[in-house]
Amino acid sequence: MKQIIILSVLLLGSFSLFSQTAEEISKKSTDAIDVGNMEMVSTIHIRDAKGNDRVRQITTASKTYGDVTKMLIKFMAPADVKGTILLVYDYENQTDNMWVYMPALRKVRRIVSSEKGKSFMGSEFTNADMSKPSSIDFDYQTVGSEIYNDRSCWEIESKCKTEAIQNENGFSRCVSFIDKANYLCYKVEFFDFEGKLHRVQTIDNYKKQANGKYFAYKMAMENVQTGRKSEMITNQFQTGSQLSESVFTPAALEK
Amino acid sequence: MKKTIFIVRYRWWIIIFTLVVVLGSIIPLSQIKINPDLESYMPDSMLSKQHNKEISEVFGNEEPILIIFESKDVLHPETLKRVQEMSLAFSRLKEFEQVYSLFQTKNIRSEAGMMVVDPVVENIPETPSEIESLRATIQSNDLAYRLVVSDDFRYTLLILTSNRTIRDADLMKLVKKTIASVPGNEKVYITGQPYLRDEANNKIGRDVMILLPIGLLVMLVFLWISFREIKAVLLPFSVVIFSVIFSMALIPVFGWELSLIGVLIPIMMLAIANNYGVHFVAKYQELNAVHPRKSMNRIIQEALAYLKKPVILCGLTTIVGTLGLVVHLLLPASQMGVVSAIGIGFALLLSLMFIPAVMSLMEKGKPHKNLGENPRGFFHRLLSNTGNLVTKHPKLCIIFFVSLFIVSALGLFRMKVAPDSNKILPAKHDFNRAIAITNEHFGGNKIINIMFTGDAKNPELLKRLHSYETELEKMPNVGSVTSLATMIRKMSTALNDSSDAGFNRIPESRDAIAQYLELYTLSADPSDFERFVNFDYTKTLLTIQYQAESLVRIDSVLLKINMLLKTEPAKYVVGGLSLVDKQISESVETGQYYSLLFAFLAILVLLWIIFKSFTAGWMGSLPLLFAVFCTFGWMGWLGIELNIVTALLSSISIGLGVDFTIHIFWRLKAELASEENWIAAVKNTLVGIGRGISINAFSVMLGFSVLFLSAFPLIQSFAFLIIISLFLCLVSALIFIPALCLVLKPKFLHFSPTLSSSSVLFIEKEDVKRKIVS
Repeated sequence: MKQIIILSVLLLGSFSLFSQTAEEISKKSTDAIDVGNMEMVSTIHIRDAKGNDRVRQITTASKTYGDVTKMLIKFMAPADVKGTILLVYDYENQTDNMWVYMPALRKVRRIVSSEKGKSFMGSEFTNADMSKPSSIDFDYQTVGSEIYNDRSCWEIESKCKTEAIQNENGFSRCVSFIDKANYLCYKVEFFDFEGKLHRVQTIDNYKKQANGKYFAYKMAMENVQTGRKSEMITNQFQTGSQLSESVFTPAALEK
Repeated sequence: MKKTIFIVRYRWWIIIFTLVVVLGSIIPLSQIKINPDLESYMPDSMLSKQHNKEISEVFGNEEPILIIFESKDVLHPETLKRVQEMSLAFSRLKEFEQVYSLFQTKNIRSEAGMMVVDPVVENIPETPSEIESLRATIQSNDLAYRLVVSDDFRYTLLILTSNRTIRDADLMKLVKKTIASVPGNEKVYITGQPYLRDEANNKIGRDVMILLPIGLLVMLVFLWISFREIKAVLLPFSVVIFSVIFSMALIPVFGWELSLIGVLIPIMMLAIANNYGVHFVAKYQELNAVHPRKSMNRIIQEALAYLKKPVILCGLTTIVGTLGLVVHLLLPASQMGVVSAIGIGFALLLSLMFIPAVMSLMEKGKPHKNLGENPRGFFHRLLSNTGNLVTKHPKLCIIFFVSLFIVSALGLFRMKVAPDSNKILPAKHDFNRAIAITNEHFGGNKIINIMFTGDAKNPELLKRLHSYETELEKMPNVGSVTSLATMIRKMSTALNDSSDAGFNRIPESRDAIAQYLELYTLSADPSDFERFVNFDYTKTLLTIQYQAESLVRIDSVLLKINMLLKTEPAKYVVGGLSLVDKQISESVETGQYYSLLFAFLAILVLLWIIFKSFTAGWMGSLPLLFAVFCTFGWMGWLGIELNIVTALLSSISIGLGVDFTIHIFWRLKAELASEENWIAAVKNTLVGIGRGISINAFSVMLGFSVLFLSAFPLIQSFAFLIIISLFLCLVSALIFIPALCLVLKPKFLHFSPTLSSSSVLFIEKEDVKRKIVS
């Protein structure tokens, strides 16, 4: 009898797993890494096809106030851009606002944020890769299952609904390898407008944070068509931020 | 005689060997590849090519393709919508590295304390006031005005850069398909090297496929009109076909590719290869008419004995002339020299072995009626009158030729060398129309790139780049000069207020420049400036867009560059396709001199050896000199440029033209050997051999005239000039040389026992009967 109950629970469990839609899996995957407010120090390596390395070291602080996530990015290295600060207001339903403080000018300038599909800081990551995807823009489909790095993963395809969305995001579709056990995504394959593999993102070194969410300390993006590769390594990370809202204002940048 | 016996004895071996060689040639011929890339025509050691390679290793070797839209007002919503849709369609294709139009061109500005980097056209204007507002925005944007939109707003550009991942044919098919997928009322023009190569590639194939059959047909008709006997037509004709197949097969055998110049090879073979066979069958018909009872083998023996020496000598001189092309710097020209020389040698061999071998197996034809004892007709009358004129007024004839030479040669001062390869396609071709538009309404269609090595963020370097930009832009034919300095200055206008010291200036500190660039990377597309600076900021590029319709104008820009860079401390390399084009043109000119000198000296020495007299050498070279200088002089007067094709003229015309003079000398010598009377000798020479020379010359001219049907204007000009050149060689051999001989009475033409046996062979008994003794 006991065995039957266990088997029934297992069957029910697996049934509920299979009954999840691809969109739900994708959403859960996004939620699993939604750490909320945070502070971190990271290093970005931007490498060209010949292996030349451009290194940027930045500190980032992020806090959400209502429908806006405010982000402060400060450049620590290289020396010639040290002290440059970028302030981003990331709105859910409107164009982002950006300000920059350049120490050489000792001035704050507001800048118009670039398109989502464009490069992030000249790396192989795009601005779209750095922001939370809008689920209404995509059609989701489970295209298979695969063992990736000894983890059983779903292969979830997110297909842009329109050409305009494709242009905005810089890809036609992507396939995410999402862990069936914890919804963490380990790999994303991005396909160009002609359906050919364009970029491959690998996400490693997940660590569970105090708030139960996961954070990946290492992300890499390789453009398989050009051979260029970028890596983002997080050296320090903490959830929550001690910074007050007044720090996240353009006026505070000059101080 | 032994040789004749040999030919008849081993006729089957000769026939089978010939057929095996020809059939064997079809295998490599079927693998022949077309190469329309002009840049590859020059050796890799060429300095401008090396510089280009050096620059492309850092900044990529993408090739631009320009799509020009023409409409009454390109800011009309429909036109803008079409440009936008097409830009989007192209940007979705991975074959293009960059797509640049009004919708990608940036408008960097300062607005209410913001640095704003937007596409020039964010939203398509709907109302007239919106259109005018956009017009004003564009006019004030030096990254757009006259660069992507013409000053009169009639034209706008869509610039694509191909990453060379697919063949030109596929690339252009893709471009045309994408253009067709966004239909509209605007006229669309395309220009760019991939388009030029694709068009040239198609036309080279078309030329070979069309010109060769037409040429063969014309030759067949010409042979039929001349001989009216099937074997007399088919045998020289088969030599032509075999020689064309054999010589064209040599191209892939040597590992070469068929170039634009290569189109001339089959036609040249067509025109030349039948010469020697024609001589043989003409002699056969003559002997058959006069000695109807002689057997075929006997006629073959006599014809060979009569012809072998002059025909071999004529063949040799033609080979030497075409070999003049071997020293040409342009690879296809030197390859053409080798292929043609071997092909002509093959034709010569077939004419003296294959034709007699086949004929020896055939029955004799009926004797030719028109080869009677009292010849009449146009040629006879014309040559007879020419003989009278030359013998009565030899000095006047010389004065006439010298005067014509001087007047024609004065045109050399007006002769121009083509500055580029754009005129490969007809002037009305969309490609050239597009070039004319870029020259008239945009900065020009030529590019010079200067790559500087050094810290690209160094303000001193950027300031120097800015000063070069300013100086070069003062030149009337320079449209625009852009570099990283342009971008930095533009950024400074958006990051500083107009009252600030840093407004529209290169910042004083390196850090400020680094921060400008970082800011641009954060807010806009870094690829906007990546075309001016490499990944690690150690190399930066200055791009000069200009127009030049002559080499002098290119040189003026280069001179200015050299002057400006005289004190430049950073290491730099000057490159660009226009400089490769320039070096090709200069090589065409230099190669022309080398080939001319080689062919001229070789012919001089050959004539010297043949007639054992230096006088024969220089006298025989005079008609060639006359023909070559007059042709080039007329090119100057008529405004025909020296280009990669017309530069081949001299070697080919020298190789062919010298035959006429050899025949005249040989015949004069023979005539003088039988009777020491110069006037009679000249008259008999003209009437006797003049007809053969004229028919030979006109058959060659007829062969070359097929080139008038070529799709390339360059080749059409070549046809015109080679025909003029051959005509001049002919008339100077028929008038100038006999007149000069009458005045100078050179010793080498006097009877000499050493040459007697062969010389006498030139005078047939029948010819003696026709002598016109004054």
